[in-house]
Amino acid sequence: MIAPLSWLKEYVDITLSPKELGERLTEVGLGTERISKADDDTIFEFEITPNRPDLLSIIGIAREIAAIEKKTIKLPKLPNISKPQKSLSLTINADYKINPRFTGIIIDRITVKESPVWLKKRLQKVGLRPINNIVDITNYVMLELGNPLHAFDYEKIKGSVLNVTQTNGGEEFKSVDSVTYHLPKDAVVIKDSEKIIDLCGIKGGFNSQISNETKTIFIRVPIEVPTFIRKTSQALGLRSEASAIFERGVNSGGTIETLRRCVDLVLKLAGGEIASNLYDLKKSDFSPWKLELRLDRLAKILGVNIPEKNVLSILDSLNLSPKKIADKNLIETIIPTYRNDLKIEEDLIEEVARLYGYNKFPKALPLGQIPIKQIPYFKDYKLEEKVKNIFTSCGFSEIYTYSLLSENDIADAGFDPENILRIDNPISRDFEYLRSTLKIGLKKALIQNKPNFEKINLFELGKAYLGKSLDNAEEAYFLSGISNSKTFFEIKGLLEELFDQLGITDDPSGLIQSEDDTIVFELNFSKLLEKINLNRTFVPIPKYPPVFEDLSLIIDKRIAIGELIKTIKEQSEKIINVSLLSQFEKTKTFHIVYQDKNGNLSNEDVSKIREKILKTLKSKFGATQKE
Amino acid sequence: MGEELIGVKNSALSLILDCDNLKELEELKLQFLGRSGKLTLLLKELPKLPLEKRGEIGRLANEVKKTIEETISQAQEKLSNQNSQNKIDIDTTIPGIKPDIGHLHPMTQVLYEVVDIFKRIGFQVADGPEIETDYYNFEALNIPKDHPSRDTQQTLYVDTRNSRIAAGETLLRTQTSNMQGRIMEKIKPPFRIIVPGKVFRYEQVDVSHGFEFQQFEGFAVDENIKMTDLFGVIEYFFKKFFGEKTKVRFVCHNFPFVEPGAEAYISCNVCKGKGCTFCKNSGWVEILGAGMIHPNVLRNVNIDPNKYHGFAFGVGLSRLATLRYQMDDLRLLTNPDMRILEQF
Repeated sequence: MIAPLSWLKEYVDITLSPKELGERLTEVGLGTERISKADDDTIFEFEITPNRPDLLSIIGIAREIAAIEKKTIKLPKLPNISKPQKSLSLTINADYKINPRFTGIIIDRITVKESPVWLKKRLQKVGLRPINNIVDITNYVMLELGNPLHAFDYEKIKGSVLNVTQTNGGEEFKSVDSVTYHLPKDAVVIKDSEKIIDLCGIKGGFNSQISNETKTIFIRVPIEVPTFIRKTSQALGLRSEASAIFERGVNSGGTIETLRRCVDLVLKLAGGEIASNLYDLKKSDFSPWKLELRLDRLAKILGVNIPEKNVLSILDSLNLSPKKIADKNLIETIIPTYRNDLKIEEDLIEEVARLYGYNKFPKALPLGQIPIKQIPYFKDYKLEEKVKNIFTSCGFSEIYTYSLLSENDIADAGFDPENILRIDNPISRDFEYLRSTLKIGLKKALIQNKPNFEKINLFELGKAYLGKSLDNAEEAYFLSGISNSKTFFEIKGLLEELFDQLGITDDPSGLIQSEDDTIVFELNFSKLLEKINLNRTFVPIPKYPPVFEDLSLIIDKRIAIGELIKTIKEQSEKIINVSLLSQFEKTKTFHIVYQDKNGNLSNEDVSKIREKILKTLKSKFGATQKE
Repeated sequence: MGEELIGVKNSALSLILDCDNLKELEELKLQFLGRSGKLTLLLKELPKLPLEKRGEIGRLANEVKKTIEETISQAQEKLSNQNSQNKIDIDTTIPGIKPDIGHLHPMTQVLYEVVDIFKRIGFQVADGPEIETDYYNFEALNIPKDHPSRDTQQTLYVDTRNSRIAAGETLLRTQTSNMQGRIMEKIKPPFRIIVPGKVFRYEQVDVSHGFEFQQFEGFAVDENIKMTDLFGVIEYFFKKFFGEKTKVRFVCHNFPFVEPGAEAYISCNVCKGKGCTFCKNSGWVEILGAGMIHPNVLRNVNIDPNKYHGFAFGVGLSRLATLRYQMDDLRLLTNPDMRILEQF
């Protein structure tokens, strides 16, 4: 929302400098994004939050300034509308479910021409292009008071009838700025006896717009239903100043005043005479409502004791007509219809707090017991840190890559995109699919680093999104890595070490893949966490020395080393470790460590075990000891 | 006498092996093998032994003498080698050989620090889904369908092809606030929780916007939680994270799931408030949205808003990381270039 200082000053005396004013307004919730100089004026640009339709008007912003400055607002003149001098016919069929209030009037014998300089200048300052006096007046009054309004060329309303209705979908509509739209279903429109002439709350129709020949106008000031306006506006990708106000909820009590202001300006700037009674078709009276503020609750929520007289004065500065109900320790307020964001007690608490000043609050830390019970969705970051530290200590650097990938990425990795979770409305084709593996990102990262590094070791711990469709979608943390400088056995050893540290006994071989000059690994970390066992019990160190022995065997090459080691170990609980020392063709040498926790092992003890090993290996694998 | 010989041998060997300079070694040699050395004196006793024992003890004595001599000469050799090595001039200005270790990502380092700070004031850490329902991401948070505040969080929706789920109901969470409803419907107050995680927006990418970034949500509910506690917790966090001199300023703001609502600004840690590109020359950086949890949100999870109050806040973790390390582009955090990673 753009607001020139000169325009604001018309309604409120401002003593603060523009910079101070901007800071104060930001503090009370009217975010000041920019203050700039233009000619002889200062232009403010504000960010308006979705709860405050009233701030999409100069008068609304002036009210906030008045509350800050403790000043009274000076409203523009709103003379009563005089009796009609004639009565032109018009039938209005409103439907309160889709158009809760419809206020309007006909003015005849007007002269459409250029607006006076002051009006054109004001519109230009806020970025609007002047068109003609009638259109400019409706824009001006909307900006000033915050209720959008629209002027129709009365003579172009066929059959002198206005039917407020909803579309079936697919209807064509040409807007005042000559753009043709195909309307979605349930858009609220006005039809005359033949056609759609207005897309309510968003844009007027080309076919009923004000032209230089227009002599008679019908001015409509409506209340629209926010959700209908928003749905239509979103479906069409069409937004306007009016739709921004209506979707936030317009001032339901402001239509008559808005019409009065508009009529006054039309008669002054375009001449003419009132040619109908005032139409005000409405679902209800739209009166202000009462809201109570309990002083003890105010203190309880804010944690600061604001004296009662300050509370009253703040509420009064916001025109909320506060009244202390003495025997109840509460303040009763009356909420003007333009503040439809004030619905519950907490809303009033915020009003008091923001004008009192958040930065005057003392700061505390929560009292009371520190919760001990483990929460749902608990995550142990210590464990994650431990895991990541194992990887960094082995030379792997951590990366974060995007969860979203392109169809090419998916297809290149050998997946069918049809079986990968997809985004309906991706920001681009590059980021359309949810990754089901982290390997794709890691491989890209490796290639990216190749020109600058010889040794590349990267890992990522992040989510993968599994399942072929949403019905069986599942998220899991994957732990994946890539290396162009480590061997298969170094990666295997790293994962074995990781598993040892986590108390897991799985064999990680299946998680590792060699591809060309790189090794890639990936594991489902979420699943792995289900198996971890971090309990440790101290085992006393052995009292008796171990005996080492190297055993060379002649054995069929096809027999897996892992199986041989396992078989050797199984022969005695006194064998505490077996490893492969060397292998050459059919000869394999194993390093065996014997130890007995209950006593010294004699040569005889060891040779008995050795004989058992040799016997088993011979019968199972046909192995013989090399002499 | 045999035992005495062994005793001399043991004491000689242990002294020789412990000795770390040539001069002392020379003294030890005299002490044992010299004209009046311990072993020499013992050997002089040899002729006094009965004839039948002389052979055996004689052999033992020779062996002991030989062992001591050999050990001394080995030690001499070792010590003189060391000496000569020490004498070679080493250019100690040559850089050391660094171990081959990797680097934790800056985002991770910042995240662990955040978790650590909040743990100290009784917060537990949770984690939850990124593929989320419209209900938890919006409706449970008092943001009904067609609410204008949805404009500030443009949403990516998950394709429902081959699925029985209705279109437009499943999305990628736009905020970690989705975990408020999920967690609070399962527990009773009091609780203090933070939830870090990835969030997604339908947003074109530039230096300060991304379609994927990291956030963390914090919330606490108890009988006596006040807005002053919210402000205190936020100030505590930023002073711990950016340093004690950091200033925190609050302004009013509207988020549908809090009332009253607030935003926090911190004094720019890059320019110390003087004005720079990180703070758009204002000296202040907008960094967090917060407020007292809206009664409707508490009602949605069956917590009585008359008995309990709470606060909630959300912070851009990616933003914290870029500010901490003065990175001028959010995208640096998802760039796997090792020239970036190796700086951390």
